[in-house]
Amino acid sequence: MRKAKDVFCAALTGTCLLTVLGIVGGLVFAILSRGWPALRLSFFTEQIRLVGAAGGIFWNLVGTGILLGTALLASAPIAVGLALLGRVYLRSERARRWLRVGLYTANGLPSIVFGLFGFIVFVKWCGWGKSWLAGGLVLAMCMLPTVTICLMERIAAVPARYIHAAAALGLSEAQIVWSVLLKQSWGGLVVGSLLGLARAAGETAPIMFTATIFAGATLPKGIVESPVLTLPYHIFTLAQDSFAPGVDAKLWGSALVLLGLVFSMSLAALPSRLLHHEEAHV
Amino acid sequence: MAALLGVFAWQSAPVWTQEGLGYITGTKWFYRQHEFGALPLIYGSMMVSAVALVLAGPLGVGAAICIAEYLPSRARFAVKIPIELLAGIPSVVYGLLGALLLRDWVYKTFANFEPLSGDTLLTAGILLGIMLLPTIVTLTDDALRAVPAAQRRAGRALGLTQAEVIWHISLPQAQRGIGAAFLLALGRALGETVAVFLVVGRQDNMLPSNLFSLEPLLAAGQTLTSKLGGSEINIAYGDPLHWGAMMGLGLLLLSLTVGSALVGTLKRSGDA
Amino acid sequence: MPRLADMKLTPFLLFLAAITCANAAPLKINGSTTVNLPVAEAAEILRAERHLDIQVDTQGGSSGGISMLAEGSVQMGMSSKPVSAEDQEKYPQCRFHSIHIGEDAVALIVSKDVWDNGVRALTKAQLKDLYEGRVTNWQQLGGAHSQRIAFFNKEPGRGTWEVFVHWLYGSPKNAPQVSFPEVGGNEETRGKVATTRGAISQLSASWADGKSVFALALVGEDGVAVQPSAENIASHKYPLSRPLFVLTNGEPTGDAKVMADFLLSERGQSLVEKHGYLPLNALVK
Repeated sequence: MRKAKDVFCAALTGTCLLTVLGIVGGLVFAILSRGWPALRLSFFTEQIRLVGAAGGIFWNLVGTGILLGTALLASAPIAVGLALLGRVYLRSERARRWLRVGLYTANGLPSIVFGLFGFIVFVKWCGWGKSWLAGGLVLAMCMLPTVTICLMERIAAVPARYIHAAAALGLSEAQIVWSVLLKQSWGGLVVGSLLGLARAAGETAPIMFTATIFAGATLPKGIVESPVLTLPYHIFTLAQDSFAPGVDAKLWGSALVLLGLVFSMSLAALPSRLLHHEEAHV
Repeated sequence: MAALLGVFAWQSAPVWTQEGLGYITGTKWFYRQHEFGALPLIYGSMMVSAVALVLAGPLGVGAAICIAEYLPSRARFAVKIPIELLAGIPSVVYGLLGALLLRDWVYKTFANFEPLSGDTLLTAGILLGIMLLPTIVTLTDDALRAVPAAQRRAGRALGLTQAEVIWHISLPQAQRGIGAAFLLALGRALGETVAVFLVVGRQDNMLPSNLFSLEPLLAAGQTLTSKLGGSEINIAYGDPLHWGAMMGLGLLLLSLTVGSALVGTLKRSGDA
Repeated sequence: MPRLADMKLTPFLLFLAAITCANAAPLKINGSTTVNLPVAEAAEILRAERHLDIQVDTQGGSSGGISMLAEGSVQMGMSSKPVSAEDQEKYPQCRFHSIHIGEDAVALIVSKDVWDNGVRALTKAQLKDLYEGRVTNWQQLGGAHSQRIAFFNKEPGRGTWEVFVHWLYGSPKNAPQVSFPEVGGNEETRGKVATTRGAISQLSASWADGKSVFALALVGEDGVAVQPSAENIASHKYPLSRPLFVLTNGEPTGDAKVMADFLLSERGQSLVEKHGYLPLNALVK
């Protein structure tokens, strides 16, 4: 009886795992098989024509690139600041703990909330209208917790003896922070940014009111009223409003490209994460 | 974060002063008549999340047990990679899969129960369940691995089978962590917008007379997020009360997700 | 890795853009998805041939177009319904200038099984019953056998919805409070109706293909069923005919004028026709 239970338990959990893996495989296959036929070089280099039924997604890729670049530039310095605050400058354990809790909580906030915040603050109050900068900043807010947490964990992993050695050599605190802590842990910033970008790249809700339109935007020429095209919003619009029969293939093709983009960023971050046993706070 | 809360509280002020608590308990939302009751939306969000957790919870915990207790470490890495990838699939892609594949599947599979269409709370719940799996698997796996290996060895040495070790040693100790995983997953589910938007049907004012009946699952509904992601935002801007009502939904959503994420995080860190 | 390449290219392209296109702001257009089809294609042609900078979006449907035009965030709105007195009241500062570019009709479309069930036409009274939820079975509306009605309502703000309730109740304000599953864009509507048993929804007549979704005739007070055919739309015999507009704030100027003129030109009108709408010269004056 006990033996049977033991086997049953193993079989049950194994089935669960296989189901989960099956779901992953099924999803990827579903997208791959439908999206693959659309992938040609021209799909990447042409702009949208005939309201999505023809042409490619060149400007959507550029637009997503611009948003991600902006988000990266905006989030990195703040993440470094916050991580140092949490690991070095906050002396009280209580304060550190609250900073961590705050970061994890912020990580769990829904992206639409950031989107509406961006709509109120950037689009309306600042009067930017739909703007790549608004979208980039909103995405930066979305990814900030992930980046900061990764960096903090890497800073925590810097052996204490390095710091003691540096202090013994007479380095000032600023010097220690700069040439010991940050030098040893910049990989955390890279990994965190990759993870954050992978999440940000696929987000639709934060940018649909703040940064992106369906057709016609190319390169922004300023800040005010300078929207971009993006990949996720393209898919979102076409999923509701594909205007012609030819759209289907293009739609799945776009989904596949977005998936490829996100996967390659997560995969790039993966080896280093597994090595450092960082938890996936997804 | 305080700024977020502040902005939403301030922007939604008109609806609180005008409607008071009736805003939360009100069951009708007809914006043309300036009638704003958020209860059906809260109900929709809760139902969708509940379905997602009921589906993803056991499956995710089972998979995590298999990963943490049975698999050798090399196999663990191999298995965790696809699960990480699952976490990375953008919600709009889930929405696309849901709108083009899952809704038809639900419509056909549950044809005996005569759903009016494939856009149901259940469809949204299933889709969300898949989206929650990585969160639950990863966090449960972490919680199980935090249980010291020495205790497991001691259990085995006392003659317990592996199943008994899991049931009597690992799971009880990982309880807090697993609870935290569910709470964090709940926060995710409540806040998911785009995927839910595409499959939930967006039917207002769907509040069943019996809150615990399962029937409404096969009817369309509306969640806090599907309302916020829809076209009403564009219509509402410029009308203080209507806009306030929309931002009130944002505030409700924010409080619910902050609540679950905060408690979940505290539970987790208290464990470590 | 297209993205990496883009990231590297971006600064360069930005620089290029800064030196080559330092001229005027783009022409922004927003509004109805119905009007979007010919306008977006016209924009593609003008972009290629006249090097105009035009951005087209369809946020919030016709009301989105009207409100964003009035707020000044776009220079041209697209609307599949006339600007109403209510709209003008809401935006007193805006001088709406409507440019009629073609004609369309709102059809009531049903799925194949409803069509096969023998439902081919509805009266105004029947539609009111349906909209207010007093009938829930096709048998009550002339179907041969019992079949549940699955009504998908166009979401508020869509021109299609406004035209529909305007005809049924005189004004959107008088429309009763109802809650149905909502649909947004045209393809979403067609897709859902096509795949759902007993389905009906409002949709631009040009989308009723007669294969997956079917347009019902409307029975007038004289008892005659009127099909949403081209002739009946042109002569306004079909009651749910509607004009398609692009809107500007005051007389169009600059790029907006170029766009408006193009839409009224022979080529522009052929685009209107290509997407299934009636061009202006087909209308009975």
